[in-house]
Amino acid sequence: MGAFVNPRWLVGSAAVAAFLVVWQIVGANEIIRSDLVSYPTEIAASARELAASGELGANALATLREFAEGFAPAIVVGVLLGLGFALSKIVRNLFEPLFVAMYTAPLIAFVPLLVVWFGVGSTSKSVTTFLAAVVPIAINTTTGVRETQESWIRACRAFGATRAQIVAKAILPGALPVVMAGLRLAVGRAIVGVVAAEMYVSTLGVGRLIQTYSTAGRAAEIFVLVGVVAGFGFVCVGLLRVLENRLAPWRARA
Amino acid sequence: MSERAQSLVLGVLGFALLIAAWEICARNGLVNPVVVSSPSRIAAAFARQWASGDLATDLATSAVEFAVGFGAAMVAGVAIGLAMGLNRFVEYAVDPFVWFVYASPLIAFYPLLIVWLGFGFATVVTVAFLLSFVSIAVNTLAGVHAVDPSHMRAVLAFGGGKRDLVFKVVLPASVPHILAGARIGLGRALHGVVLGEMFGSNDGLGYSITRYAAQLKTADVFVPLITLVVLGVAINQASGLLEARLLRWRA
Repeated sequence: MGAFVNPRWLVGSAAVAAFLVVWQIVGANEIIRSDLVSYPTEIAASARELAASGELGANALATLREFAEGFAPAIVVGVLLGLGFALSKIVRNLFEPLFVAMYTAPLIAFVPLLVVWFGVGSTSKSVTTFLAAVVPIAINTTTGVRETQESWIRACRAFGATRAQIVAKAILPGALPVVMAGLRLAVGRAIVGVVAAEMYVSTLGVGRLIQTYSTAGRAAEIFVLVGVVAGFGFVCVGLLRVLENRLAPWRARA
Repeated sequence: MSERAQSLVLGVLGFALLIAAWEICARNGLVNPVVVSSPSRIAAAFARQWASGDLATDLATSAVEFAVGFGAAMVAGVAIGLAMGLNRFVEYAVDPFVWFVYASPLIAFYPLLIVWLGFGFATVVTVAFLLSFVSIAVNTLAGVHAVDPSHMRAVLAFGGGKRDLVFKVVLPASVPHILAGARIGLGRALHGVVLGEMFGSNDGLGYSITRYAAQLKTADVFVPLITLVVLGVAINQASGLLEARLLRWRA
């Protein structure tokens, strides 16, 4: 293998290619019922169809909006709560157990209740996203602030910084990497949460679409939609990485 | 008061405040008690479901599904992680598939699972297994990578074979990583059981939640829900204690 070919990449793509070929042969020749496993060319055709009809675009946009409406407030509330937990022992002891309980419990179990409270529309999905995201963000912010190097804070104090300045100049930047890791966790949980909530009951969205094609027994469309959701996750995590390098360039990996 | 006692008291106080505020709001009509329910209604529902045996049945069903799903994930996760860690080509070839399983919303495939495996037990166990095994495999792989090569060389120098290498060096040295993966896997397996029951079963705590919610019996929804929250916390605490015990020799 030459110096310019990464063996990880080479072997990985060869394995994926081999898998696709076998899948194509098995599916297209009905060795396994193709309505159950589908096959790559059928999936590609379905993807084109879903995109061209506008069905995918409208539903993806609805999911994206629900996601954004839940995730943005989750960042603000999560970071503030995390700061509160880290800076006040009383706040932490009062409320952290509740948060840890929320974190270890399967979030999806709350969805039926949220639907009763907020209706079958987009609000219950935004609330699901919010709850899925706010907990890991708050917990990681707490950890990040606690792990901020004592020496940074002492340096600020030595130069006469106020409490607000210490938070802004030492604690928040110091906590940033751990907060970003929390955001990555939150993205994963929130995406699964919003899609599962839409699958449970909704009027619009990618999860709704998955449910529609599920009941119609259309494996090809399900694969397309799962790919769209996974792709959205990759894009989000990639964006977070770019953001982290911008906000904390001193930590950027070589 | 010691630090520990103080945090315990405040933690209990936090729960008590929440419950009291909720009950007061419900009694005074600040929130609709039929829709939002209230602690006293939930307690009554709890007693009802316990007396009828419904709760015990649901709990037993979910517990068995959880144990089977997580057990299988543990075996498969460690085996796959070991295979990947011991052979670079296996690692490179399996890696993209592991990532796909980890990153995609697997529950979307539940209708296909139902056709293959039938409605109920097997589908729920499979969802729990799929959600759980990847974190165990990935952590096992990290554990194998972190093995001290000098220990491996020592085994080989004293005439040990590949078998000795795996069972006497690699596996014991990977235990901390495997346990960390198992802890994540436990949470994901519980999540998988609930997802599987909500979408692909007529039994268990997850199904109970959807059934009571569809009947708008909010107080009854809280019974399996709170049971799941307590279960999640208990599993997490127990695995933390077990981890600390098993890793005592490393201290």
